[in-house]
Amino acid sequence: MLRWLLARLRPESAGDLLEESAQHSRWWLLRQILSAFAPSANPFAFLWNDVRYGVRALALNPGFTATAVAALSLGIGVNTGIFSLLNGLALRSIPVPGSDRVVSVYQIFHGKMDRNVDGNESMFSVSEYEQYRDQNHVMTGVAAYAPMALVTLGGEIPRQVVAQFTSCNYFDILEERPAGPGFRPADCAAAGSGPVAIISDDLWKSQFGADPGIVGKSVLLNRHPFTIAGIAPPGFHGAEAYFASFWIPITMQHTIKPKFDAYGNANTSWLVLIGRLRDGVSIEQARADLAVISARIDQTVPGRKTSLSVDTATFASMPEMRRIVTGAGAVVLAAVGMVLLIACANVANLLLARAAGRQREIAIRLSVGATRWRLIRQLLTESLLLALIGGALGTALAYASFRSILRVLPAQLPAEFPDFALNVAPDLRVLLFSLSITVATGIAFGLLPALAASRADVKLSSGANGFLRQALVGLQIAVCTVLLISAGLLLRGLWAAQNIDPGFEMKNVASVSFDISSQGYDAARSAVFQNRLSERIAAIPGVDATARVDNAPLDDSHHGEPISLPGNPAEYRAEINYISPEFFPMLNIALVRGRNFTQAETDTDANVAIVNEATAQRLWPGEDPIGKIVIEDGKTPYQIVGVARSAQVSHLGRANETYVYFPSGPKRAVRTHWLVHGASAVSLTAIRAAVREIDPALAATVAPLDHNLEWWRTPSRLVALLAGSLGALALALASIGVYGVVSFAVSRCVREIGIRMALGADREAVRHMILARAMRPVGIGAACGILLCAAVSKILSSLLFGVSPRDPLTFSVIPLFLVGVALLAGFIPARRATSIDPASALRHD
Amino acid sequence: MRDHLGEFEQIVLLAVLRLGDDAYGVPIRREIESKTSRALTVGALYRTLDRLEDKGYVSSWFSDPTPERGGRSKRYFRLKASGVRALADTRDALEAMWRGVDLKKVKHA
Repeated sequence: MLRWLLARLRPESAGDLLEESAQHSRWWLLRQILSAFAPSANPFAFLWNDVRYGVRALALNPGFTATAVAALSLGIGVNTGIFSLLNGLALRSIPVPGSDRVVSVYQIFHGKMDRNVDGNESMFSVSEYEQYRDQNHVMTGVAAYAPMALVTLGGEIPRQVVAQFTSCNYFDILEERPAGPGFRPADCAAAGSGPVAIISDDLWKSQFGADPGIVGKSVLLNRHPFTIAGIAPPGFHGAEAYFASFWIPITMQHTIKPKFDAYGNANTSWLVLIGRLRDGVSIEQARADLAVISARIDQTVPGRKTSLSVDTATFASMPEMRRIVTGAGAVVLAAVGMVLLIACANVANLLLARAAGRQREIAIRLSVGATRWRLIRQLLTESLLLALIGGALGTALAYASFRSILRVLPAQLPAEFPDFALNVAPDLRVLLFSLSITVATGIAFGLLPALAASRADVKLSSGANGFLRQALVGLQIAVCTVLLISAGLLLRGLWAAQNIDPGFEMKNVASVSFDISSQGYDAARSAVFQNRLSERIAAIPGVDATARVDNAPLDDSHHGEPISLPGNPAEYRAEINYISPEFFPMLNIALVRGRNFTQAETDTDANVAIVNEATAQRLWPGEDPIGKIVIEDGKTPYQIVGVARSAQVSHLGRANETYVYFPSGPKRAVRTHWLVHGASAVSLTAIRAAVREIDPALAATVAPLDHNLEWWRTPSRLVALLAGSLGALALALASIGVYGVVSFAVSRCVREIGIRMALGADREAVRHMILARAMRPVGIGAACGILLCAAVSKILSSLLFGVSPRDPLTFSVIPLFLVGVALLAGFIPARRATSIDPASALRHD
Repeated sequence: MRDHLGEFEQIVLLAVLRLGDDAYGVPIRREIESKTSRALTVGALYRTLDRLEDKGYVSSWFSDPTPERGGRSKRYFRLKASGVRALADTRDALEAMWRGVDLKKVKHA
């Protein structure tokens, strides 16, 4: 930049500056260069004059300035706030030393490949990790970790905590030193070789009373003794946004999770890779080097084709996660962008009105020789000043309110949600974002009025500018309609979610779940455990029924499995559950055809199945489903014996999912959970006590079944909260806009009103005329808004729980409400206008 | 008609005189900054020198390009006879005005 400028100076000036540049700062050099370009001694004199004049002009009209600044600071503040959230979530590099050199690596599979997934498909297996770690030439080291595992921490009251499996160089790569010896390379030598754990500072303080001698002591994780090898630095949460309590070598995966040997399987996605770039290596070089390794691995496996995603590590580097964040971020930014658009239209309208008042000043300046460009520059300086004040205030507002937002947010999340930390403090990126939207805003709302005002020949109250003002009102109303309808739909969706009837009984049902497979239970021991538990729970006073299930209704384990029909290669995605016969009567789900499972069928894991009505219609339309066969897992045939009423068992708001029930017998004992029904609310403590009596080291989650609804309501509650506040903001801004424009229009036609009234026009008729004029752009804007919203509201459908994204009630009530508010905003100035004395109205300038 | 020099023009001409054969942009600027303790930009200096050259008080020429100046030449300045005369006239005028003034005895409002 400086070099480019220097090349444009006269050679003697450029030579002088180069000769001296070594002894001075770049700022000095820049000032000198500008001085050589400037026509006068002070290069900023012109700008400075404009700014001073602008400040005075704004100070002269404090009402206008305050309104404009308030509108802009709300618009810019809300945008800056949302952007810093997104920044903290997805753009900021992870909070470790030198994080700009830490890259995350994911692989994307192209085409179909048989792959085990424990986490997300884009993760790596151990053998893949080792190849990237050992064969690359671009990293000082590569670490691997499995982001989230729930393990049971033994103790007086065993409880589930969040752990991460990590390679033994994890802390070294992140350049964080745990207090204590940490992991040794030998811990990661072979499967089962490292029964050691690093604990979080938080856990050390809360669970172990900040015991200074904790390192070297032993804890039980899923009943296996682990030696504590260190305490992570305070606040450390590694490469993920949420806090883990334990870090355990990846070699211990199968010990901790005997259900599934991810460590020993070369075709399982379960590890995220992060590496630290060597000095001087760019991210492009790293991509190229790692691509060679991925190509090499592809060649060893027929049909495998992958590409890599290598980026500076953030909390949302994972491709699956990034897709979600980008999608949701775009929608939210669009919504807050609309609020800013309304604010801009508002201020543009205020400026147009003000320009009309400044007509005399502008005419004088033009006639004494100011060029049009000079005037536009002056007017634009004023709008930029407004934008900068609004922007600074809005950004400050955003940060001031962040503390409270971040306090409100966790309260909105279900209790099971792990603690997480987002750094939403302003950084250069946020400030640049804020500055650029501020400048863009200043030009956006300032340019049109400046162009219009600086035309000497046009009467400002009529013609083109009148149209411009009306168009701006229409725009505000249209955008406001979109925001309000969205907010209305989301609130209706939230209402629906709160009051939804999932089609089965949740009252007085408790769900009991535990992870016995990772506690060293085999099938035989599990069956014994389940039988004893069944007896214990049945003995609790008030309990009148118990049922076994693999997946409790509406819990988060409904992921869909492929099923097929005999003689048909097509696969259907179905929700699958294994249940005992008590399931249907307990949840009051009627069997519309056929029969329930018998006790004998569940005891023997018989190959029979019950489907819901939606499945029967989908798979065998117009036929009797009883006696038909479905194939699960590609090989086992099951005969349909019954059809159950469709209910929202897997997804709230969706009753017509394909759903197949199989009997839950001894084979399922390892995975089974319990539903417990009582005449009134069942004592959860009594159930916990029953579990503890049989196995004191087992952490059981016992909760009322309707708690599962919270998982579904949370996103809609958060989005409804956001949309509701944005809608309210938009409504406030738009009504100020309508009020301003109608008042201005009225003030412009006081004489006309006077004449009409002097000639005998009825007060009512005049008022009606004024309002009708004012409402035309409102009506057109609302209509456009309805059409626009109808076109895009589909993206909200997953949050609406049965409310149609084109819900006629919302689409009619909200625009009516908006028009009503606009009428009210227009009525006040219209009434004022008609209450003036015609004589004084006629004398009005 | 006698042309009186402005203050800054005098300062620049005096700096060129004082530097003699070494009078190009950098030393001129440094001389003025060190003697008058005021900051001076390259732009302001060359604007004044250009004006003095237009008035015929100084002449300038370019040296060979040097590497430490990024291959650019130095522009040297020297006073012409009219420049020397203008300086002398200005000093005479000022001295005439100063004669009999004693700032220590001035009573000011």
